[in-house]
Amino acid sequence: MSVVEARRVTRLFPMAAGPVAAVRDVSLSVADGEYVAVSGPSGCGKSTLLHLVGVVDQPTSGEILFESRDVAALKEAERSRIRLVRIGFVFQRFFLLPMLTARENIELPQAEARVPAADRRARTRELLEYVGLADRADHLPSQLSGGEMQRVAIARALANRPALLVADEPTGELDEQTGGHIADLFDRVHADGTAILVVTHNPVLAARASRRLTMKSGSLVS
Amino acid sequence: MTSLWLAWRTTKRYRVRAVLAVVGVAVIGALLFDMLLLSRGLLASFADLLNSGGFDVRIVGSEGMPIVRLPIAGSTRLATELRALPEVRDVVLIRIERATLWSNERTSRPVTLVGTTQASGGPYTIVRGDDLPRDSSFDRCPILVSRHLAASLGVEPGSSVKISVNPDGVRSALPAVSCRVTGVVNFFFASAGENSVATTMTALQQALSVPAFAPDASAGEPGVDADLILAASQPATGPAAAVRAIHRVRPDLRAYSNEDVVALFNQNGFAYFRQISFVLSSLTTVFAFLLVATLLTVSVNQRLGEIAALRALGISRGRIASILLWESALLVGGGALLALPLGGLLALGLDHLLRQMPGLPERLHFFVFQWRAVATHAALFGVTAAAAAAYPMWLTARLPIAATLRREVVG
Repeated sequence: MSVVEARRVTRLFPMAAGPVAAVRDVSLSVADGEYVAVSGPSGCGKSTLLHLVGVVDQPTSGEILFESRDVAALKEAERSRIRLVRIGFVFQRFFLLPMLTARENIELPQAEARVPAADRRARTRELLEYVGLADRADHLPSQLSGGEMQRVAIARALANRPALLVADEPTGELDEQTGGHIADLFDRVHADGTAILVVTHNPVLAARASRRLTMKSGSLVS
Repeated sequence: MTSLWLAWRTTKRYRVRAVLAVVGVAVIGALLFDMLLLSRGLLASFADLLNSGGFDVRIVGSEGMPIVRLPIAGSTRLATELRALPEVRDVVLIRIERATLWSNERTSRPVTLVGTTQASGGPYTIVRGDDLPRDSSFDRCPILVSRHLAASLGVEPGSSVKISVNPDGVRSALPAVSCRVTGVVNFFFASAGENSVATTMTALQQALSVPAFAPDASAGEPGVDADLILAASQPATGPAAAVRAIHRVRPDLRAYSNEDVVALFNQNGFAYFRQISFVLSSLTTVFAFLLVATLLTVSVNQRLGEIAALRALGISRGRIASILLWESALLVGGGALLALPLGGLLALGLDHLLRQMPGLPERLHFFVFQWRAVATHAALFGVTAAAAAAYPMWLTARLPIAATLRREVVG
């Protein structure tokens, strides 16, 4: 069964010289527990596709079905709820809240999902150990390295036990070695049964996926 | 992890911005608080001054503002009639004359001489010595002198002085009478540097060389006419009923309750202060709004990527809006709280400056603390906080998540 399915989706962006198609007639399905990597040159529409599948954007035409529900038919509050509890987002620039510690950053989506405080604390502890940062729980993002910040961001994305983890260039800001650690972490997440859709330029990370896709000029070519 | 907690952490994180906002709002708020104190303070102080003597109705012989005084013909008999009214508890006659007080043959001062039938507890507080005696048969001319006059002439309780009255329209001074200082007082209605003297109506008559005072005279009205009559209403009926009853007895006179006097001054004398206060209060509120709205908007614009990421993570629009609202409330609230002691100190200084104006009663204040002013201050800043957060909230509610994330990465 697919967690998310894009059916012939097109995303046009209005420009002064006329609309530009960032994603053109793309169909894609990510099955439960599947690990999919999308690669391609800059500007080919990878991130736009990821935003569509991650329910933060809507296609100009075509359908996005998340767990068999047509995303277009949902209200913004319902889409927000899906992102909160069914999808985990990992960004290239981490986007941790700078005023919160690692522990608090991981607790935030759980608090939003109204997880009881005791469960929240237990899950956060478990995730910090999972990403190997139990001893950095009370550090602010400014006190962490890039790799540590991305690991906290992955822990935050997994906080509400999502069905799908979407990651946009998760190693884009990291050196090769640290990127390798993040790729290892993705392997573990996949092994634990979470579906992953990752957009990356990093061939090492892409090679870890069970299915590799390539995009060119807004279309999937392989 | 409430919105307030997140707003607090954000405020702590951006300390410089927070300090700038709080200090800015505090300074603006201090001015606003002072304007609010000023808008009602003078009136409240004036009402307090009027009520301090224990009389709540004033009877004068002239129309309009009860300041210009004409002698009230037959005031002695009128006082007797008023005392008989069930709405009236007490009546006091007052006569004010210009006079000269001699402490010795060479030293004199022009004074305001107040004659009163009130035996004790008049509109003054005793600093040294005793009040006017209830029975003046043993002391023909007991007087109370203002603190300033006592210091100026070096007189103390027990000192002997002479007073000669200079009535309006009489070219030559009347013969001086010997008087004895019974006490040194602060007059409620006198200015700080004013030379004031209070004495009994009997002594004033003597100084005016008028035939003996006859409180119960039924005809001919020997004695001196008062130019102001103070009446105390019965608590059960109140001053309005007393005013109506007095008007029935003497429709030619003007009787005003203290509330009427305050209302008259509010319409005429104090309108200027109210208008200034309104204009400055409005301006300061707008400044506070602009300051906080600008800082919040700049801050939100700097955090658009962070906010878009939060939205992508499923944090609701409502939660982000409430965080911003709390941020605004913390900045404005912190400043508004700080503004109260700051404004209080500023009000003390300004009040001191304004009270240096000549001719003002020493007890009159321009800035008077009132809980009503604090409540208005809080309400205005509550509205300011909400208004200042409105635009940043709107900005984040309309934020396109995907486009903002894309811009952040490209940027």
